[in-house]
Amino acid sequence: MIEFERYTLDNGLKILLHHDKTTPMAVVNTLYDVGARDEHEDKTGFAHLFEHLMFGGSIHIEDFDQELQKAGGESNAFTSNDLTNYYEIIPANNIETALWLESDRMLSLAFTDKSLEVQRSVVIEEFKQRYLNQPYGDVWLELRPLAYEKHPYQWATIGKDIAHIEKAVMEDVKSFFKKFYCPSNAILCVSGNFDARSIKQLIEKYYGAIPGGVKPARILPIEPAQKEFREKSIDRDVPANAFYYAFQMSERKNIGYYLGDFLSDAIGKDQSSLLNVALKKEQSLVSEINAFITGSFDQGLFLITGKLSEGVDFDTLENALWKELEKIKTQGFTTRKLNSLKNKLSTAKAFQEQGLLNKSISLCMFELLGDANGINEEIQIYNNIQNDDILGFANSILRKENCSLLKINKTK
Amino acid sequence: MNRTNAPKTHKTGAISFISPQKIALNKTTPLYWLSDVSNETARIDIYFDAGLRKAKNSIASMTSSMLLSGTSQKSSTEIHNQLDDLGAFFDIGLSHEGVMVSLFALKNNISEAYHVLMDAILNACFPESEFQEVKAEKIQNFKININRVAVLAQRAFQEQLYYGTEYAMLSDESDLQKIERQELSDFHKANYVNGIFKIAIVGALEEKEIQNICDLSKTHCIDKPLEFKSNFHNKPGAIHIEKKDAVQTAIRIGKTLFNKKHEDFLDVSILNTILGDYFGSRLMKNIREDKGFTYGIGSVISESGGSGYLLIGSEVGNEHLKPTLEEIEKEMLLLCNEKIGDEELGLVKNHLLGQMLKISDGPYAMMDLFLSVESYGLSSQFYNSYIQRIHEIDASAIQQIANKHLNWRDMSVISAG
Repeated sequence: MIEFERYTLDNGLKILLHHDKTTPMAVVNTLYDVGARDEHEDKTGFAHLFEHLMFGGSIHIEDFDQELQKAGGESNAFTSNDLTNYYEIIPANNIETALWLESDRMLSLAFTDKSLEVQRSVVIEEFKQRYLNQPYGDVWLELRPLAYEKHPYQWATIGKDIAHIEKAVMEDVKSFFKKFYCPSNAILCVSGNFDARSIKQLIEKYYGAIPGGVKPARILPIEPAQKEFREKSIDRDVPANAFYYAFQMSERKNIGYYLGDFLSDAIGKDQSSLLNVALKKEQSLVSEINAFITGSFDQGLFLITGKLSEGVDFDTLENALWKELEKIKTQGFTTRKLNSLKNKLSTAKAFQEQGLLNKSISLCMFELLGDANGINEEIQIYNNIQNDDILGFANSILRKENCSLLKINKTK
Repeated sequence: MNRTNAPKTHKTGAISFISPQKIALNKTTPLYWLSDVSNETARIDIYFDAGLRKAKNSIASMTSSMLLSGTSQKSSTEIHNQLDDLGAFFDIGLSHEGVMVSLFALKNNISEAYHVLMDAILNACFPESEFQEVKAEKIQNFKININRVAVLAQRAFQEQLYYGTEYAMLSDESDLQKIERQELSDFHKANYVNGIFKIAIVGALEEKEIQNICDLSKTHCIDKPLEFKSNFHNKPGAIHIEKKDAVQTAIRIGKTLFNKKHEDFLDVSILNTILGDYFGSRLMKNIREDKGFTYGIGSVISESGGSGYLLIGSEVGNEHLKPTLEEIEKEMLLLCNEKIGDEELGLVKNHLLGQMLKISDGPYAMMDLFLSVESYGLSSQFYNSYIQRIHEIDASAIQQIANKHLNWRDMSVISAG
């Protein structure tokens, strides 16, 4: 059970406080309700590029990191298709420094040309390092537009194309900041060993006077229900043929999210998972096979991915895979299997709850979904899952006409 | 409020480093237990003297991958199902010095999970079908990894770092192809069955559970103290590995150093932080934040049994390779030729003290800190000395240590791309 207090400042900034007196540290976590899904299709990769620029100095403070390091703290951030998250980890007695820094860049950035020029170049190198210069690195750049026809999930957070990042100009940066980086579009979670009486005063001191702004309305195209099987095959210089089956599934707030998470664990997380046992161990068709969900806030994907064993063709795998999926759709799982999955989730949850940063990010994410207390309810949702629920989910999702398949053919 | 003024900062409070309780499994093998955990979680780490140094890399590596692949009584799937029933996770790590198997579970289940795990490891029989499966997987992974410039550079670096010793002998695809099942069985018998050299437990277990774990483990321990090779000398000079079509070039630069027992270790650690071990380091500021040549660059001090080394790593756009190498050399020279300014040194000290507080937060962190000095026969007192040294060290000492250990001509300089 993670205890927290929740309130909202007059300017609309949502505050979550989680007091943990067992640690000497504190975490200041700031979530902005903006991600790659909010980008224009001609300016993709921008939310992520912007995240880099947030470290390039703010209106009153030239060097964000330097000031934080002086106080013994460290910082990082990440961008997803749904949101952008920033955090500082700092000795608890210096928590004020983190609030000072984070609030100043919510007030306004410095917008220097040098920062834009350098971070454009850094992000281009990140694009190359992660997506272009790795075997199978560009899979998501290919798979997203196959699985999504309308929704902006069709591009990755890094962007569709390096050219979009190269072309970013200061005017874009400023208007993006103005639209999305305001108190009414943010959630602040302060956690750790803070002084419970003074923390609210400190938050009011640093954030209270920032103009609230208007929370931008989000009107995104809805991905139409898929009606027919899609398939794409690409050639790459890789050592093994690889397959990516992507099934459309529900949005994050739907119970389907939990069922999808649970089912993907059951069929493709560990060595004892169903597809690992059947297709790898027993039939030797694949050298690896995994199942997982994207967990997106809007309609997500349920994925089954893997690599073929030497000498096995795609059709053989296809037949064997559907045979296993049909078995799941008719039988589901034994009580023993369901229970062991629930036990593993409980263990994982207990370990996760030890990390202050983990807790802070989760609290903000659940609050963005509607209620931070969701963090305390999810284990019960998993524990309530019955075989019938899994059967229902599997039958509605694991259908060929609901599937997009990307194949990677090795060229040598 | 004047927002240009930074709030007053406070000094990091004292840290009291906790050492776990020590129980002797035999004359040479300790079991460490840290019981003061306020939640339901528990972890058991079991160390086997079955690292890469004990055989060809391919054999040591494949044996460690097959520890839970089945016994004469139980199939691999049954072993995994039993651990799943108990909600347990495990992780296997392999290094030159040993194999660490970590078991994670809730404290009520961990004793039982430990029995399942140890039965599987000690009685592993390496079934033929599992052997073929893991072998195919290893070969495929090798083929994927050898296409990565970072892996190519890292392998070449290791060859130069451990030049002329068996540590430099890396396995390739043909070694994996040639492995026989019997070699794994033999390696297992020689290095696992009586190969435990340390156990570490974190968790609020019952005394009698700990006793059970001792009873189960003590007949499988080593009976002679471990000895690690320490006499390494890297081969300086530049090597480039051509990789057609790569859009980035991986860089690995470094040299042989020493482990925590060396008198220069603390100063070199602080020097390394200034050079490349935090976001505001000289290398990050120059090569990423000023020039935009890379997504990231960093340097680390690593230890390896009786020795240790410095390693600088990055991946840069191909066109940035030459200027990046020049800038790294320049930064080393600068540390040797000019004293660090008060402001930067003060910042580094505060950063290091903050990090120290962070990495000592909670019982798992305390155990990990303890284990990382215990291997060298040191106690947690090491960290008090470290903190004291952070407070004391001055610009002259930094410059001196740079001149002693940071000379470009001593470095092995690898690029792949």
